[in-house]
Amino acid sequence: MSTTTTAPAAPTDAAAPRLPAPIAGGRPTTGIPFTRLVAVELRKMLDTRAGRWLLIAIGVVIAGALTVLFVRGGGDHPFGDYLQATTMPMAILLPIVGILAVTAEWSQRTALVTFTLEARRARVTWAKVLASLVVGVVAVAFSFALGALAHAAAVGLRGATGDWDLAGTVWLGAAGYVLLGLLQGLGFAMLLRNTPAAVVAYFVLPTAWSILGSLVTQVETAARWLDLNRTMEPLFTGSLTGEQWAQLGTSVGVWVVLPLTAGMWWITRAEVK
Amino acid sequence: MISVDHVTKRYGAFTALDDVSFEARPGRVTGFLGPNGAGKTTAMRVVAGLTPATTGRATVLGRPYATLPNPGRHVGLLLDASAQHAGRTGREVLTLGAILTGVDRRRVDDTLELVGLTSKEANRRIRNYSLGMRQRLGIAHALLADPEVLVLDEPANGLDPAGIRWMRSLLRGFAERGGTVLLSSHLLGEIERIADDIVVIGGGRIVASGTTAELLAGSGTVVRSTDDARLARALADRAVAVTKVEAGGLLADTDPATVGQAALHAGVALLELRGGDERGLEEMFFELTASSAREGAMA
Repeated sequence: MSTTTTAPAAPTDAAAPRLPAPIAGGRPTTGIPFTRLVAVELRKMLDTRAGRWLLIAIGVVIAGALTVLFVRGGGDHPFGDYLQATTMPMAILLPIVGILAVTAEWSQRTALVTFTLEARRARVTWAKVLASLVVGVVAVAFSFALGALAHAAAVGLRGATGDWDLAGTVWLGAAGYVLLGLLQGLGFAMLLRNTPAAVVAYFVLPTAWSILGSLVTQVETAARWLDLNRTMEPLFTGSLTGEQWAQLGTSVGVWVVLPLTAGMWWITRAEVK
Repeated sequence: MISVDHVTKRYGAFTALDDVSFEARPGRVTGFLGPNGAGKTTAMRVVAGLTPATTGRATVLGRPYATLPNPGRHVGLLLDASAQHAGRTGREVLTLGAILTGVDRRRVDDTLELVGLTSKEANRRIRNYSLGMRQRLGIAHALLADPEVLVLDEPANGLDPAGIRWMRSLLRGFAERGGTVLLSSHLLGEIERIADDIVVIGGGRIVASGTTAELLAGSGTVVRSTDDARLARALADRAVAVTKVEAGGLLADTDPATVGQAALHAGVALLELRGGDERGLEEMFFELTASSAREGAMA
């Protein structure tokens, strides 16, 4: 009967599995701290190939734009141009990071895990919003620094004339442009919960609205209050009048606050599939 | 401890769960058995707070899931092994879980080792995982934060026979520690091997529930002897209902001991005597769910 005993050992599977040792101490009676949720959401933005490549792509586009500025015309451009070269690509592409942070939960169906490890869905979603803003603020600071660095390098290395003149609100405009775009992307993502739909809506809707506003006179008046591209323009040129602030506020309300609110309402009530 | 109390879930005119009540108790493995589309997954999703019940309520450890503080430390869930980001590595998924639940990161390695995923496999992206590997990762994720309740939806799917055996003893060990296990399956053989209690669902209704022993006991005794006709008469004298089994032998509606006594008195030698175990539960499963099962339409 020795032949039966020399049969290849069964895989370790057959042996009784040993459960990991129980965790000492009692079970938690307090919830997950919000800061931890934000930290995890931040990590989730960077730990997938999609997220990482998106950030790399933004970096590449910015580097390309700066190189063009640096080479063309002997690098002789005002700082404002450099700032635009770093902020514009950021403003256009960064919202996709925010969109993916929300829609991936549904397209990859990770919501099943996310909303069972923290059942208070509004907290998770606010953590996503906050994490996106952290990424946005870091990105804005980075783009400002990079723009300044590039301008300084153009002055130092290529003998360009230094022109650091910037209207006070340009900083605000550039930062607002990136961060509001990010929030708008998040809002659309929460409403649509589908990556392609949210990306298309984010890029097409406001632009279509801008075009409509410039073509149809009846829409023109409304567009002055509701076209985010137009209401943000004064930020880049200098001071804003009271009416311009009101117009900016109104458009932000419609394109940013409304989608975020409706999206939040839906996420906290819907069935998670 | 899981308690589902008169839960009904409707989608428009369709009733997915119809007044469903059952319990899963600590220290025991509760098998949730039913054909595809019977409502097992919906019921488990209601337990996990992912699907709101139309009426009724479900509690875990005495409270609604959504009110559990840091729920991962209390309940381990595996509802869909494919519901993981394809672009993340298995290790990353567990690391995220460890950070969020606040457990030592070393448990990531412990649970990976437990489910038999090598570190090379754990560092691969999930899109390259087989279903079996996803199931193992899902079980690792469920056990990561040392929960006292496990809810597993079709965990044996995609596991090879050795893997199924491994899981069986894993869940047994978990229950012996005092944990509560609720696992679903549409395979009867799998459930009756592992479960202490069985809940059978069909067409959104609970059609039977009880301990596995109880449900098996109801299925009578299969007996073969040198003289079946004489044994049948002896059993009939004792008011035991007897039916002839086509393949030979008798099915007696009583326990094996009574049949043995009757045979002794009748002077008939027994060739085979056993509880009508698997076949009985199988009959019950088909009978109870036939009207609601998809296969029912063809029968």
